[in-house]
Amino acid sequence: MKKYTIKKPAGELHLVHPQRFQIDYKNELNPAQYDAVTSLNGPHLVIAGAGTGKTRTIVYRVAYLVELGVKPEHILLLTFTRKAAQEMLRRAAILLDYRCEKVSGGTFHSFANNILRKHALLIGYDRSYTILDQGDAEDVINLIRTRMKLDTKERRFPKKETLYDLYSRSVNTLTSVEKLLNTDYPHYVELEEDIGKVHSTYTQYKKEHNLMDYDDLLLNMVKLLSEHQPVRTELSERYKYIMVDEYQDTNKLQAEIVRLLAFKHQNIMVVGDDSQSIYSFRGATIRNILEFPEEFPDCTIIKLQENYRSTQAILNVANEILKRALY
Amino acid sequence: MRHKYDKVLFTHKAEGSLPQLIIAENENLQSKFIVQKVLELREQGLPLDDIVVLFRSSFLSFDLEIELMKSNIPFVKYGGFKFIETAHVKDMIAYLRVLENPRDAVAWNRILLLLEGVGPRTAEKVIDDILQHRAPLPSEPSAHTFWHEYHSYPDRVKELFEVLKPLVYDRYPPGEKVARLITYYHPMFKDKYDDYPKRKKDLEMFEQISARYKDISTFLADITLEPPNESIVDITSPGSENEHLVLSTIHSAKGLEWHSVFVIYALDGRFPSFHAVGNVDEMEEERRLMYVACTRAKENLFITYPINIYDRETGMVLSKPSRFLEGLDEKLLEPWVIDEE
Repeated sequence: MKKYTIKKPAGELHLVHPQRFQIDYKNELNPAQYDAVTSLNGPHLVIAGAGTGKTRTIVYRVAYLVELGVKPEHILLLTFTRKAAQEMLRRAAILLDYRCEKVSGGTFHSFANNILRKHALLIGYDRSYTILDQGDAEDVINLIRTRMKLDTKERRFPKKETLYDLYSRSVNTLTSVEKLLNTDYPHYVELEEDIGKVHSTYTQYKKEHNLMDYDDLLLNMVKLLSEHQPVRTELSERYKYIMVDEYQDTNKLQAEIVRLLAFKHQNIMVVGDDSQSIYSFRGATIRNILEFPEEFPDCTIIKLQENYRSTQAILNVANEILKRALY
Repeated sequence: MRHKYDKVLFTHKAEGSLPQLIIAENENLQSKFIVQKVLELREQGLPLDDIVVLFRSSFLSFDLEIELMKSNIPFVKYGGFKFIETAHVKDMIAYLRVLENPRDAVAWNRILLLLEGVGPRTAEKVIDDILQHRAPLPSEPSAHTFWHEYHSYPDRVKELFEVLKPLVYDRYPPGEKVARLITYYHPMFKDKYDDYPKRKKDLEMFEQISARYKDISTFLADITLEPPNESIVDITSPGSENEHLVLSTIHSAKGLEWHSVFVIYALDGRFPSFHAVGNVDEMEEERRLMYVACTRAKENLFITYPINIYDRETGMVLSKPSRFLEGLDEKLLEPWVIDEE
């Protein structure tokens, strides 16, 4: 029998004619904000200076996507704190309607946790795994350190806090422990082998006891996405429009997650301000935002520079501080 | 390699009054200046909540905190201990964790050691038994056997199992589970902490938050990944009014704004800290911190620095303003000195 196939619609956009929008985007936003809000496909970098209405821009973009007919569950909004995501979605819902609250939003860690619960078995965990906070993680490290009898009178071994910092930064910055020892703790370089042993025992301990620390959530997320192509495809197809807030404070693993999630469509908008990158001590790297145009060569850069917070006298001082930057 | 995206911020707001760079002859004079200026602003009708004092590191506000207490100015401080990091809240979380994941040896250890007469040895024995014989594989341990076979343990441990056993089942909503655990925990809690009446508020808050959840697993994930506000114990506020002056590290002030902003200790050697000297990347991050601090202000920006500060580490006396501000045009940043009556 001959078959006539009804094609799937190519995209879901433009179901609503722009003239019928409930929100008057053009009048409620300044030109740069409008540009950011209405840019849809492909990679976008929004450089949002302090007080330039960054949150407002994200809120309007969520509303815009939803108004266009994108299903809320196809939009992913990753933020620095969960409260920030909730607040943005709540505001979008007030602006447009309840659909905006169905958008998936949260931090990288909570997002990873939600996904990993479903696919725990693929990465060798049980779904009931519990999460160690920093203090717990340090306690486990201390337990291992004591059991291995590494700290002796003759030889001082790094404290649990130091070890945790070392392992955590190694994971978050994708740098070897050896290299970090060389730059940050040169006096412990000769203990490298034992420090490595504690690390592998710690890793094993967590697996045996069905535990993940904060870093494992990100690391396992990268593992899941890079080693399990069907999951990667499923997630990339589900999250058709991805937005990341505070991109200047993300770390290398988070950038990797972004890259993997967007691989099908590259519809990724990152928002941030390189001048406000202040979390390197937690493993964040300003390089993510600076190198975004290299990572996504087709990316469009949009700059928000009109400030709604401060007087010009205050901005003059702020601008001057930046202008004198060493490079 | 790209180093930054050029940007120049502008506004359609009024020009406003000039930001000030204020030199104080010593640390305490800096604190007194803040106190007096805050009171002045308050008298002009500005609520305390609209004023913030920012600093590079948490310890830089100690002297100011004492002055504020003397003058009865209520304040809250951000950038210290978090709710979740307090020992009593961690105890509660540990109970919930073993309910979720009976292989969680870290949590078991914590709650076993709370029991009278149970030391590290006994705890280890019990944990070994749990892991080897009763929850040997990282797959769903059978709730039927796991939570019922505990009769060989010491009495206190048996009691613990008797409390936990009924809670494993979903019959109780999270708020109820937490309430029951708090009741059980209370005598140990009273023993362990001398200041337990204060800490009790944290447990109440913990119960309140848990009651908003449908299941423990989501509650646990949220509370470990997204700690709620600072512990009540750790918020120092001498007054009882609801209005507070805000003290905050710059890191914790990210994304926020205030009508009037004080940045204290803009002293070279403290901000930037000596540790950043010699490392270009760290120095640039300190500069960005100064930028973040200044851009929190809507109307007033006061930057202060004390002089004659002895630095133990280097043996130097610090007296210069932060290098990020030194030499800035006086038409942009107005220099002021403090004179004492």
